[in-house]
Amino acid sequence: MFSTELFTQTLISGLMIGVLYALMALGITFIYSIVRMINWAMGEFYMLGSYIQYVAVAYALGPKLWWLAVIISTAGTFLIGYLIEPILIKPMHARAMERRDDYATVVTIALLLMLRSLAVAIGGPYQFRPETNLPIMWVGPLPMEGARVAACLCALLALALFYVLMSKTWMGLALRATAQNRVAAQTSGVDVFRLDAVAFGIGVALAGLAGALLAPLFLVYPTNGVVTTVKGFEIIVIGGIGSIPGALIGGLLLGVVESLGAAFISSPYQNAYGFALVLLVLMVRPYGLFGERGREA
Amino acid sequence: MADLLVTEGLTKRYGGLLANDGVAMRLAAGEIRGLIGPNGAGKTTFVNVVTGIEHPDAGEIRLADVTITGLGTHLIAARGLVRSFQVARVFGNLTVRENLMVPYFASDRTHGTADGVARAIELLKLSTLEPLAEDLAKSLSGGQRMLLQACAGFMIPGVQVHVLDEPFAGINPVVKDTLIDLILHENRTHGATFLIVSHEMEIIRRICPRVTVMIAGRVAAEGPLDEIARREDVITAYLGRSFQ
Repeated sequence: MFSTELFTQTLISGLMIGVLYALMALGITFIYSIVRMINWAMGEFYMLGSYIQYVAVAYALGPKLWWLAVIISTAGTFLIGYLIEPILIKPMHARAMERRDDYATVVTIALLLMLRSLAVAIGGPYQFRPETNLPIMWVGPLPMEGARVAACLCALLALALFYVLMSKTWMGLALRATAQNRVAAQTSGVDVFRLDAVAFGIGVALAGLAGALLAPLFLVYPTNGVVTTVKGFEIIVIGGIGSIPGALIGGLLLGVVESLGAAFISSPYQNAYGFALVLLVLMVRPYGLFGERGREA
Repeated sequence: MADLLVTEGLTKRYGGLLANDGVAMRLAAGEIRGLIGPNGAGKTTFVNVVTGIEHPDAGEIRLADVTITGLGTHLIAARGLVRSFQVARVFGNLTVRENLMVPYFASDRTHGTADGVARAIELLKLSTLEPLAEDLAKSLSGGQRMLLQACAGFMIPGVQVHVLDEPFAGINPVVKDTLIDLILHENRTHGATFLIVSHEMEIIRRICPRVTVMIAGRVAAEGPLDEIARREDVITAYLGRSFQ
């Protein structure tokens, strides 16, 4: 049953999908750390990204320009998030509101339902799949769908860009400062409301990017964001909310655990292994692997 | 000297409590003013309202003859009115140097990065924080955080008024002296204006030629500390009626 070769292959494919999970989780945790809210509509931005990808590939660019479509999908979801935030989320901070968490939860769940219904209304309850011209590729000893390899590489590139943005630019410094202390950032002259919109845009764009990259593999339909959202939140619990390293390590860990479980235990239960991991982490470190003890929302 | 910061009839209510009741104050350019008063007199409320953390119910605030009433904190900061907090608010997971660069870049990005870096080095030297420049701010002591917070305020290009809320509370004497030197240095070389809320009368006497006394939400007296300290109403407010 156990062979080193199978183990290596499973590990590689687990890490590859884990990078995409990490993208989702990073989006959730990033929005949380700046805007101080959980965006429950994250999966719907994943869905938006996948629809934009499909429309762009099927009707305008063709499968050869899939990468351009990915850029358009990511930019498109960023723009939608950037424009929606001042309308829906900003009132939460601008009018010193009580029970902010309740407000954010209700508003983002309403947004979730609206976007999902919109997808049904426009595209119908059908599944779509953007064409891909990428051939089978060899990753070490492992033959893999080209789209899967491309998705992993693009996700890594996006993570690298995110890192550069956060550590090397003025915007990144302002975002890090705001994440640590909103009031101090404001008294330093940082326009935190504009940063909220930018952060919300970046966070949902990460989901949109994941949606666009995974569209050829996991298909495009109104509720395709549900599974990835659940995984995103599993990772947040595993890694610790508000922690960027937690989101990355948690994503890889979840991908690997799922793959290993599917290969060596039983594949129909693939989604359950993640939950087992969540329970395990909660028992040992209730605040997550990288979370801070007693952190307040 | 022209009045740089002017408040007129500044009023702030919390439910039935009148925290600030028509506060009028005039701060001249280049002045170091002390703001004293018993606990609950409304000093911190006044600071919050002036710096845009809270909005006044009535009254007006003018900075260099421009009305800033009701503006957001970051806009007020960008116009040159910055504050420090009683419990220093620094960015714990940024380095000391990065802490200084945030306000520099936030307010005005037309200034060159090189100027900001040079200014940061100057302030790090003056505040004796230079050896810690690359350390995370959360590793600093309470007093060092106070210094860092004050320096962050000095980093904003074109800043005019610094409002310091209890900058000397609970910090050791050496750091206290460093902070005082820093305040005097900024005042002399850059003409910076200060409004310092403090209970440390010795320091206020040393560095503030004039003080304003707030009692029960109103300005009760204004003038040199030694003169004011002899006034009966001030003594009563601080020590209670039974003392007399």
